[in-house]
Amino acid sequence: MMIEYENYVAATSVAEATKTLAEGNATVVAGGTDLMVQTAASGRGANTTLLNIRRISDLRGVALDGGRVTIGALTTITDLLTDGVVADAASILADTANRFASNQIRNMATVGGNICNASPAGDMIIPLLVLDADVELSAWRDGAVTTRAVALNEFFTGPGKCVKTEDELLTSISFNRPAEGFVGQFGKTGPRPALEISMVSVGVGGIVDNGGLTNARVVYGAVAPTPIRAAKTEAALEGLSLNEASIQSVLDVADSEVNPISDVRASDWYRRHLVRVMTQEVLQNVANG
Amino acid sequence: MSEAIEKTTLIGKSITKPDAPDKSNGRTRYINDMVLPRMLIGKIKRSDRAHAKVLSIDTSKAAAVPGIQAIVTADDTPMVGVGVTKDNPPLKKDIVLSMRDELVAVAGETEEAVDKALALIEIEYEDLPAIFDPAEALEEGAHQMHDDKPGNLSLGYQTVHGDIKQAEKDSDHVLDEVYDVHYVTHVCMGPGCVIADFDTHGKLTMYTQTQYPYNYKMDLAPSLGMHPGDIRVIQPPVGGAFGSKLDVYPFEPIAVFLAKKTRRPVKVIFSREEEFSASPTRQPARFHIRAGVKNDGTLTFRDVDALLNNGSHTSWGATTPFVMMRTFTGHFRVPDVEFRSRAAYTNMPYAGSFRGYGNVQATYVTATVMDKLAEAVNMDPISFRLMNAQKAGEITPQNSKLEECLLGECIETVAEKTNFLEQYNAFKAEQDSPGRYKKGIGIATSFHNAGGAKIHKSDGCGTVIMLDDYARATVITGASEIGQGIDAVLTQIVAEELGIPTENITLVNNDSAIGPWDVGVHASRTTFIAGNSAKRAARKARDQILDAAAQRSNVAADDLDLRGGSVVQNDNGVPVMKIDSLLRKMHFAGEDAELVITHDYYEPPSEPEGDNHVGDISAAYSHGAYVAEVTVDTWTGVVKLNKMTAVQDVGRVVNKLGIEGQMEGGIAFGIGYGLTEEMIIEGGEIKNPNFRDYKVMTAPEAPELEFHFIENDDPDGPFGAKGIAELPTIIPAPAIANAVYNAIGIRFNNPPLTPEKVARAIVDKQAAKVAAE
Repeated sequence: MMIEYENYVAATSVAEATKTLAEGNATVVAGGTDLMVQTAASGRGANTTLLNIRRISDLRGVALDGGRVTIGALTTITDLLTDGVVADAASILADTANRFASNQIRNMATVGGNICNASPAGDMIIPLLVLDADVELSAWRDGAVTTRAVALNEFFTGPGKCVKTEDELLTSISFNRPAEGFVGQFGKTGPRPALEISMVSVGVGGIVDNGGLTNARVVYGAVAPTPIRAAKTEAALEGLSLNEASIQSVLDVADSEVNPISDVRASDWYRRHLVRVMTQEVLQNVANG
Repeated sequence: MSEAIEKTTLIGKSITKPDAPDKSNGRTRYINDMVLPRMLIGKIKRSDRAHAKVLSIDTSKAAAVPGIQAIVTADDTPMVGVGVTKDNPPLKKDIVLSMRDELVAVAGETEEAVDKALALIEIEYEDLPAIFDPAEALEEGAHQMHDDKPGNLSLGYQTVHGDIKQAEKDSDHVLDEVYDVHYVTHVCMGPGCVIADFDTHGKLTMYTQTQYPYNYKMDLAPSLGMHPGDIRVIQPPVGGAFGSKLDVYPFEPIAVFLAKKTRRPVKVIFSREEEFSASPTRQPARFHIRAGVKNDGTLTFRDVDALLNNGSHTSWGATTPFVMMRTFTGHFRVPDVEFRSRAAYTNMPYAGSFRGYGNVQATYVTATVMDKLAEAVNMDPISFRLMNAQKAGEITPQNSKLEECLLGECIETVAEKTNFLEQYNAFKAEQDSPGRYKKGIGIATSFHNAGGAKIHKSDGCGTVIMLDDYARATVITGASEIGQGIDAVLTQIVAEELGIPTENITLVNNDSAIGPWDVGVHASRTTFIAGNSAKRAARKARDQILDAAAQRSNVAADDLDLRGGSVVQNDNGVPVMKIDSLLRKMHFAGEDAELVITHDYYEPPSEPEGDNHVGDISAAYSHGAYVAEVTVDTWTGVVKLNKMTAVQDVGRVVNKLGIEGQMEGGIAFGIGYGLTEEMIIEGGEIKNPNFRDYKVMTAPEAPELEFHFIENDDPDGPFGAKGIAELPTIIPAPAIANAVYNAIGIRFNNPPLTPEKVARAIVDKQAAKVAAE
């Protein structure tokens, strides 16, 4: 099914883009790697206007300012792989980018698009949740661009759904530069090493302290309607000295906290199993330094 | 004329496929890209029920969509079936038997208009009880799918040799197991496409992806109420076929119905989803195998029952037991063998022909059973196979004459190249020790027809060769090019015979009004059959040229050779004359004028099967022995294939680059079959009709590949060559499964070995171990 758009707008500024969104009935395209497929398969994006934001050059790039890292929404996955700030301040993002789809898709796909697609299995969301990121939403209201910040942890409301309103554009993602001693680990699995939608993905982060983690973050993808922070698992992990037995106790908590479904990609049993073994892997890596 | 021209050979050299550069740089105009003047787009409304009565079809709203030019239903057609047993009317009336069943076809000016119209067609159904399991379909009282097929029985095969009962008594160990092999599909990069075009005389031109252009006319014509002679088949470049285009499928006559009604060319092209859901699959099957062995390692018997899910209609899938049985009865020396198969109609998709043709399934069973039997008698996998491997000259119970059998050499070579036994024993010892990652090594072997297969009245191929005044050759062959590389092979063979450069040869094989008959691209046959035909036609041209040269020189034809574009003296290579200048002399010789135009029709020295499926159906057979080396992640269940070493009996390599590419592509299919590819079908509906969830292998997980070609000229093959296109697809999966067993001690009788399946089996095994303690 082809979609017949009536209008095409290639905005060059956030003001222009948000004005177009304010007029309503617009579908945003950035990298197009999800939209093109969804449009062909399901007719998603059946709006009358196609809004291309790729020419807004301000929205691409990573900056470190006053201890806060800001990533423009149009930063590509390949950018994250090669960016110096990311490598230095938040290498978990580069590690995740390295597992993301394929080279061709990474070159086109944007961080903002990966978030707005709101897939429970969206890869880049996992490390950004580990990093306590906020997203910046911009809208054209009362004759000017206004912005609001939303914690990424409160951004998603269901598969393909988020709190962003129709007139808002996700313009950037930001997080505090992790403190000294921070480690972050990302894991995903599927039968293929590339071009693979995660059956389960896991992100763990925290400050290494005394053979354990403080300020622990545990995030899972594809085990619930949205990517989730596993609060109980985080609490169980907080300050815990990691060894074989204590890791097993954390896994039991994680198992109680996830609620995966069975679908064409995996059974709920296998997803639970993956939550255990992938969390175990990540925690062992932390324990082993 | 001075310097001597040395005798060289093109056979065994690497030459680039003539179609490769254009395919690489995007210039190739595939059938999918073709647009004819005034061409309409046709699409098909399919059933969304697995089994139902069709109460009404209302197309009035669809017809009102601007741009719609024709709508056809079964009422507009002769209702004559297509497919192997002609049980598949292109458009269905009153009853639908599967989700893919075609009900209405629409032609319009644009894809958008046709999509709109399809969405507006209203169909009322009354659901009937659906059957998805073939065993259930054969139960008494099961709903009958086809009036003329009592008991839902489609095709059945049986071959019986020796005395199984006695052989069982003589056995020290008897293995009794059930295997379930799954649905996979071809995933051609170019989805299904056809263009039908009538001329003003009512003659039909079909632009099609077919891989059997001549019998295609014969199979298509009845469904159209036409004479086959009034159909011309044009074959533009295709994006893969692999067996999926070896039959007529409903979308092809449907395009014709629409073209006839509109008097305009009509193109029907599949979406990717249709390519998954409406193309044929590989035949799934349930095998019950009993196999015996003596304590000394001698195989005693094999007894196999195969139950095939025929699906709603019948294509080549239901005939794959024809090939399965050759492997069950003929691979390794087994004196007493029986094979029986039944295919039962269900409300599932139906299977077609697919590279490997039943042997992929049969080899998964036999190659893992061989491993199990070796273990039962405490023998290693190599010695056990070697002691039961046939030697040259042996004949299988079905009368496959293994005149040049190299099975033993293949096994010995692959064992040596991979240091098999040392690795095998080391990994086996590590099975139960702690550690997340386990390594394993496994071997599998098979054999396949390598000199065509006489399943039709003729297994032949024709060739015409014409040389012009500049010594450029046009080779018109019946053999189709569907990506397998026959154009390069025939170019090499003709260039070799005529002593002209390969770039001076043009291949023509895309028009049934021009090319001579050929039975089609299947059964690993084109190099052997079309190669022989081209070689013989070229030999005739060569003889004609040498005779003419002899007449115009004082050298006898027997003492002349063709090299580097010249006629030379055979003994010293000294040029006598240029071939092109000789051709012009022959052409402009007044009353004695002659052109060099030769032809040949080659029929291989094979025989059709007689009673009990006995017959030497192929002019040659090939064996292969492959070894897989894997790492199993015992936590996630992911099996990583590190390396595949393939030892392949090829007779003689013709195009080295071509055969390597064919091995690589075939092995990729085999790996997908063994590890990741599976159509998930629930309630008759395919749940993963896309590349996201149907997992074909991608470049990063391609293993290291090592090939060893055993070259031992086949006496009947062109320059000694055999056809080996299918074995690389057939052998990998069981080699992987045997390697996984070596790693973790778990057998899988139900490929593919997906991460979840493997993880579950590991967890279950650990639980059983704990329970036992």
